[in-house]
Amino acid sequence: MTADPAEIGLNRLLRRAGWPERGRRLPRRKKSLLYLRRIVAVLLGLGFIFPFYWTFVISVDRPGQFDSFPPVLIPQWDWSSWARAWSEWPWLGLFANTALIASGTVILCLITSTLAGFAFGVLRFPGRKALMALVLSVLMMPQTVLIIPDYVLASDIHWVDTYWIQIVPWGASVFGIFLIRQFFATMPQEILDAAAVDGAGRLKMLWRIGVPAVRPALVIIAINVFMASWNSFLWPEVMTRSAASGAGVQPVEVGLSGFASANGTDIPGLAAATAFTTLPLIIVFLLLQRQFIRGALSAAGSIR
Amino acid sequence: MRSRQLAATAAAAAVTLLTVSACAGGGSSSSSTTTTAPAASPSANAGAITGPVTISFDEVYDSGTLKTAMQSAVKNFEAANPKITVSLTTYADYGALLTAETAAVAAGKAPTIGQAYESWAQKFATSKVIVPIASLPGASSTMSTALSSFYTGVQSDLKLPDGQVWMWPFDKSLQVLFYNATLLKAAGITSPPTTWTQFGTDLKSASKNGVVGITIDPGNATEGATSGEEWLEELAAANGTQVYTSNGTPQFTNPAVESALQYLVNLKKEGALATGTNYPGETALGAKKGLVDLSSSAGYYYEQQSVGGKFPLTTTLLPAGGSGAPDEMAGANLVVFAAASSQQQAAAWKFLQYLSGPVEQAAWSAATGYYPVTSQALTEPSMATYLKQNPWVSSTIAGLNSAIVDPPYAWVTQCGIDLSTAMSAALSGTSVSSALNSAQSACSSAQSNG
Amino acid sequence: MKRGRRGLRPAGNRDFRRTKKGWLYSAPAILIFSAFIIGPTIYTFYVSLWNWNVLNPSLSVFRGLGNYKELFKATDPSFVQSLENSLYFTGAMIVAGTAISLCLALLLQRGGGLMGASRLAIYLPNATPLIATSIIWSWIYNPQFGVANWVLHSLHLPTSPWVEGQATAMPAVIMFSLWHELGFLTIIFLGGLTVINDEYGEAARVDGAGPWQEFWRITWPQLRPVTYFVIIITTITSLQSFTQFYQLSGGGPNNATTTLSYLIFEESQVLQNTGYAAAVAIVLFLITVFITLVRRRTTPAIR
Repeated sequence: MTADPAEIGLNRLLRRAGWPERGRRLPRRKKSLLYLRRIVAVLLGLGFIFPFYWTFVISVDRPGQFDSFPPVLIPQWDWSSWARAWSEWPWLGLFANTALIASGTVILCLITSTLAGFAFGVLRFPGRKALMALVLSVLMMPQTVLIIPDYVLASDIHWVDTYWIQIVPWGASVFGIFLIRQFFATMPQEILDAAAVDGAGRLKMLWRIGVPAVRPALVIIAINVFMASWNSFLWPEVMTRSAASGAGVQPVEVGLSGFASANGTDIPGLAAATAFTTLPLIIVFLLLQRQFIRGALSAAGSIR
Repeated sequence: MRSRQLAATAAAAAVTLLTVSACAGGGSSSSSTTTTAPAASPSANAGAITGPVTISFDEVYDSGTLKTAMQSAVKNFEAANPKITVSLTTYADYGALLTAETAAVAAGKAPTIGQAYESWAQKFATSKVIVPIASLPGASSTMSTALSSFYTGVQSDLKLPDGQVWMWPFDKSLQVLFYNATLLKAAGITSPPTTWTQFGTDLKSASKNGVVGITIDPGNATEGATSGEEWLEELAAANGTQVYTSNGTPQFTNPAVESALQYLVNLKKEGALATGTNYPGETALGAKKGLVDLSSSAGYYYEQQSVGGKFPLTTTLLPAGGSGAPDEMAGANLVVFAAASSQQQAAAWKFLQYLSGPVEQAAWSAATGYYPVTSQALTEPSMATYLKQNPWVSSTIAGLNSAIVDPPYAWVTQCGIDLSTAMSAALSGTSVSSALNSAQSACSSAQSNG
Repeated sequence: MKRGRRGLRPAGNRDFRRTKKGWLYSAPAILIFSAFIIGPTIYTFYVSLWNWNVLNPSLSVFRGLGNYKELFKATDPSFVQSLENSLYFTGAMIVAGTAISLCLALLLQRGGGLMGASRLAIYLPNATPLIATSIIWSWIYNPQFGVANWVLHSLHLPTSPWVEGQATAMPAVIMFSLWHELGFLTIIFLGGLTVINDEYGEAARVDGAGPWQEFWRITWPQLRPVTYFVIIITTITSLQSFTQFYQLSGGGPNNATTTLSYLIFEESQVLQNTGYAAAVAIVLFLITVFITLVRRRTTPAIR
């Protein structure tokens, strides 16, 4: 396990919130109440997942079945809708674009958030509070109206329909900056002081000591930014164009929306497309669930 | 401390303001050059292409036969005009297209050719970002002959209120009815109705056992123009008055319009009409839960896909009302943007002529279900099989001469949304007169805002 | 030795924290924000003062505050109506979101295995993209073929037009948004519950307090900061929600689901009333700022 104090703190929080470390069980409270709660919890969980289940069923059912009433809940397996939906749209290219854009955005966000979080959380300089207020105000601007001025800007620098325009404007995250700031502000300061005494310059101190110290925050930010990038729709929709053939530089959600517009009445095909474009994210979610939960927990603590 | 913070904030704001004004200045100066559009100087060889030139075309043919037919059209054109390259940019729907065209023009990067509805073209023209067709290099001599080969309804559709031809046609459609022939027989209807009154009766008698006669989409801001809203306009015209006067003034509270909407509300009350979004009539028809779908003739391929051969389709024109059976013509036109260079405009004119010529119109029609805009296409060999398999085309194409079309004014887009809203409201229970009153006042204020 | 806020610092080394060049570290982030968000915001305010011709800005006509005055005229949809829809949506999300997620957190706290799986299942919708889930739910809500009406039908309740009925559209979108958001809010409450000091609760139970009293007197007051956070985050995200109104309900029927964000989209992208849309955007921005400032003054200071 790790000796990192921040990591230990979060693990403790997770454990108390109910995610035991692997293999450990928790002491029980009143048994009968627990059974009742369990039943309700399972029903709720199933209810929340049901829309995904139903979409999957429609997509693997025989194409004529989707409009039967009452709806069919157990499919008669037929993967032709998946095959059809896959072949009609350049999904591989779209996935590749999304992965590239999301990764690029994550890397850029980690860099800018660490630097700015260090500045706001550790350093003292004139104008610090003003800059922090400026950063906070960024959260409040509705995105729908920034599109036109941002398109004019993008066009002036020849970034329209490129990967750059989908990465750089999102390369700084208010959440990320404040989370890192929080981490820096609450860590034991002796570590940094010791490094200063040893003569380390600020950048070296940040790199050698600061970054490892805030590693849990970096993971949280990475996940957060990755998901937000995957989820983005209006921005890439306006800033990119679908190529005459292939995926161009468009991400997968824009592709899905375009597919829905073009093939909206092919319900099983649309269900299949929705299923296989969402499946990678569900898998990522299940594999990294602890990190996701941490991300949500730390969101509560970071922005004040 | 506080004054230093204020100074820092002010400094940050000043920097960003400077950046913005530089960009804003850059943006407006690059598009101000388009206000003085380079008029092609008439010369002996006006319209000749001297060197390799690339033109861009923004369109919405992004799926099915539309996509493949456009791609082969481009290939054939480039083969015949080796110096010209056509670069297609495809969008998922007209909403995305308008956003993209607007943003591109705003940034000074307009395409050469773009699809545009009449109301868009009016806005483009008054903002001086498109050019009249006659000003294209090479067009002054050849335009009027080409124009006269089109159906008359199409010809007048190309003009804006100032009388000049600002658009060029490519694909036009009329609304048609697709019936489930099996259900027609089962309901005891021997032949499709020829009047709207008969249509109502037939729909009511067929609406049982989970079947709803017809499902329509009244439309909303995201979707833009829909068949449902066009149906209202056609019913009003069939009752004697169109929803707009010829100069774009709305007449939504006219008795003809009110009785048209009331007709739909009555159908709904009798369970013969339902509403939905995303081509609900097509879905219902394919699911055997609808008797008929009202759709653009260009939806023909999609209807067949939805039906999937489960039953035969009968296709007819619209029934008649008291004042005839006017049909609404749909389909966007093409405009040429002013930012294009002289050579690009010359190449664009060649492409426009090719697209509207009989050979390409025949091929396009047969592949997509749009009507050819010129009657010369009907005699092309490539159309022969298509016409034989689809007799409704020949019998209905004359409708292009008499079709109604929304007048080309910028506020018509807003007014279409207002009518859609009125339809949704009336079909949800609001009284017809109050729904239309709200639409009338909203449209009037849009009109006065210009 | 000097005493700083965080303990002793060696006096010999002039404190590395104090530096005039500190802002350089924040420069990359600030640069990105300035160029793509703050700058365009100021530009938007500038645009809102004109009858802006987006196609050819030199043809724009200056109107001063004219666009703002027009907000209260009866256009269709009107600004006032959109504001009401936004407040309706935001209010419902705040009340239902907070109450339901708190109940879920109380239900799902502690316990591994099945409880953990349940927590994951409730959080899953939050991790999936809004476009995909909007598409899924538009089919669920289909009045003729969707599962939603089948459920009502099986329970012998009258079926509903969901997103296609004027009165039912906003509740339908709210239900979808809750499905999407509750997982995230529940996790936050779970976090808040675990940092509560158990001793007070134990003491109360020893004194004979029932579970309701324990919750109301002991747990709830300690949850206040978390509750405030949940309310604020829900307010800001709800005021700016756009994707589901675009994909799921299209702003209708009859403008029932046209919120301020959707109005901005409709006016700027569909109708090209760019100046007017900019005015609406600035108003939405000011409302959000106002709410955040109010929160700062009323939250108990926990830093």
